[in-house]
Amino acid sequence: MDAVIRTRSRAAYICRSCTRRFRFQRQLRRTYASAAAQPDIYDVVCVGGGPAGLSLLTALRANPVTAHLRVALVEAQDLAKVRSWKLPPDRFSNRCSSLTPSSALFLDQIGAWRHLERDRVQAYHEMQVWDGVTGARIEFDWAPGAAPPAGTTIAYMNENLNLTSGLLKRLEELGGVSVFDNARVERITYGEETDEMDLREWPVVHLAGGKQLSARLLVGADGANSPVRSFAGIEARGWDYNRHGVVATLEMEGDGWGGEGTKIAYQRFLPTGPVAMLPLPGNYSTLVWSTTPSNASLLKSLSARDFVAMVNAAFRLSPTDLQYMHTQESGQAEEYSWRLEHTPFDSRAVPQTVIGVQDGTVASFPLKLRHADTYIAERVALVGDAAHTIHPLAGQGLNQGQGDVQSLVKTIEDAVSHGKDIGVTMSLEPYVAERYAANHVLLGVCDKLHKLYSVGSGPLVPLRSVGLAAVNALGPLKAFLMNQAAGNGIKVF
Amino acid sequence: QPSRTLGTTPRVHHNPSATTHSSPSSSTSSVNETEISHFSALASSWWDPHGPSRPLHLMNPLRHDFIRACLSSSSSRDSTSPTTPTGLRYLDVGCGGGIFAESAARLPTTHSVTAIDPSPTILAVARAHAKRDPFLLLPHNSSSSSSSSSSSSNNNNSNSHAGEPRLTYLNATIETLALPARPADRFDVVSVFEVVEHVDYPAAFLDRVGEFVRPGGWLVLSTIARTWTSWLTTKLVAEDLLGVVPRGTHDWDKYINEGELRAYFEGKGGLWGPPRVMGVVYVPGLGWKEVRGSEKVGNYFFGVQRV
Repeated sequence: MDAVIRTRSRAAYICRSCTRRFRFQRQLRRTYASAAAQPDIYDVVCVGGGPAGLSLLTALRANPVTAHLRVALVEAQDLAKVRSWKLPPDRFSNRCSSLTPSSALFLDQIGAWRHLERDRVQAYHEMQVWDGVTGARIEFDWAPGAAPPAGTTIAYMNENLNLTSGLLKRLEELGGVSVFDNARVERITYGEETDEMDLREWPVVHLAGGKQLSARLLVGADGANSPVRSFAGIEARGWDYNRHGVVATLEMEGDGWGGEGTKIAYQRFLPTGPVAMLPLPGNYSTLVWSTTPSNASLLKSLSARDFVAMVNAAFRLSPTDLQYMHTQESGQAEEYSWRLEHTPFDSRAVPQTVIGVQDGTVASFPLKLRHADTYIAERVALVGDAAHTIHPLAGQGLNQGQGDVQSLVKTIEDAVSHGKDIGVTMSLEPYVAERYAANHVLLGVCDKLHKLYSVGSGPLVPLRSVGLAAVNALGPLKAFLMNQAAGNGIKVF
Repeated sequence: QPSRTLGTTPRVHHNPSATTHSSPSSSTSSVNETEISHFSALASSWWDPHGPSRPLHLMNPLRHDFIRACLSSSSSRDSTSPTTPTGLRYLDVGCGGGIFAESAARLPTTHSVTAIDPSPTILAVARAHAKRDPFLLLPHNSSSSSSSSSSSSNNNNSNSHAGEPRLTYLNATIETLALPARPADRFDVVSVFEVVEHVDYPAAFLDRVGEFVRPGGWLVLSTIARTWTSWLTTKLVAEDLLGVVPRGTHDWDKYINEGELRAYFEGKGGLWGPPRVMGVVYVPGLGWKEVRGSEKVGNYFFGVQRV
């Protein structure tokens, strides 16, 4: 910069075209000379290439107001694998999430939805949720004529890799992102002050290998143990649930009681935690079973036959039966078929029988609740799991992240169109204002539901059943809850 | 309140320490030393988002909304210059710490911002703050926030403006600033925000300021109406009770009513088009909101296009 200024003052003595050429060369040389020493300067550096980070960059690139911003993505894993991910139609990844219509709409608006493998995305139209102890039930289905204009779809079950792969394709289509994948963040520091610039408040991301990225705005989309959050000195508070979520891809005896046209999601609240079966295309489903760590490790150790029996038992037998079966090291298949004969149940009120589990898809992850004290610091913003971690029982985690991204992009767009520095706290405040309370409430509700249904006996049990039955009977209230869950209801927070 | 013409007679002001002023034709007719020292004392807190300048930070986005509204209503008589959706040149008069100047320099539609202020103390703060955003120091034909090789200029301005830094601060008053000889070299937007209520001779001041607007360009200012309501809100409540504005910032007697400004510009013999006015109200906790009609009682924006 100094070179440019000095040259201009000499312009009176040198002809104009020579001055221009001289200035160009000085500037170019200066750029090359200092490229190694000076960090590369970006408007947005997003650390984390999961659904939240990829959505954020896609939305910024797709929006004409923010498309000129210089953006970078830093991701520890190899994104080429995500980009080229492909599975045959009869195999499904065990990491699936439920996408609300609101999230799907957002993905469509940024042009990513059409890049998903659409025949691997399963819309579902009904939810059956019941109390494992008392059998009290709530059926989320649209009464004839009560469906909203948006249609009867409650949500979409989708493999996470399908989403990230689709986002990457859209990002490539848009172009303009400097991608640093296979890149580990060694540390994050602050910049320096020189004669020309004062970057002491600018975060500098140091990658293994020496590359340095200076960020006007550093976005932490880097998961529950976010290093960006630690760098910003933001605490995340909460507790571990002492539960693990066991996932698996299951093969069913049919394509569901409602057929392909009406796919149904099931969730049964057992005292050890809810067990959920979410529909996938064809005769497949995905399992999310929140249970104690010891139960989880038992389940993971079982043979396919015994594992399948346990899953079927989880939706049909009494909690006492299940408790016993969790003490067996093997042989659950025989135990199940014997106990089934003595257990009355309505076969159409539970999922169809599971007949197989896909190889290598039985896995588990620990469940916890975390909420960051705030989502922003000077030149830092957190989105997704970096900001909050939630119990999976309501299928909201990934959608909260997408909601965060939508809000942050709107905030950045407003800042850009009013000439604000997008990274300063004052510019980021509307993001926190919009998202913090809403996320906090959802985290709290899911937490209380988990605690409420963890009780196996005592006065809470009949009370919660009465409550559930009451909500089931109150049509307008149920419709309100369904709309809230789908994200197309009125904004309460 | 009785309407006044913006004449050359000095207005009454209640600063006992004020020195007598020379005639309005002097080179410092707009500068009141007491005002300058009051603002210089605020220099260090200018950019504190929770400091005394917070209301200015909150008002700044509305300034851009107002300018956008003015530009999009530009008269079709503006035939002297092609429509420049990009490449606007701004002059910010009385820029202070640079809240508006920096934000204008960042807009993609801006070519450059020249910002002037008589206080060297505040300008030092402005310059130091501008260093914190490398983008502001680059000339227009660089892309985004990275340093890049210069590409051919793609704006419609004459070549003499190519390569100007996006943001330049000058320690000057409007009287000491050199007036570009050719009208086409003058500015697309001249902004005078929260300044005119601090000058002693507003008419002479506006005479001079107006010369810097190129034909077809806009003069945009913001000030406060002189009413019982504005006394209540900007003096009693803001300064004394809530303390959201530093005490002594405003001299109610120097507030100018919208009608007085209209009369002044209309009296310039067809030099200026009909004004655009937007009244705004500050609610602590909620920020600034446009309120139709509030220009009669409180803060307002006033924009005129030079024919």
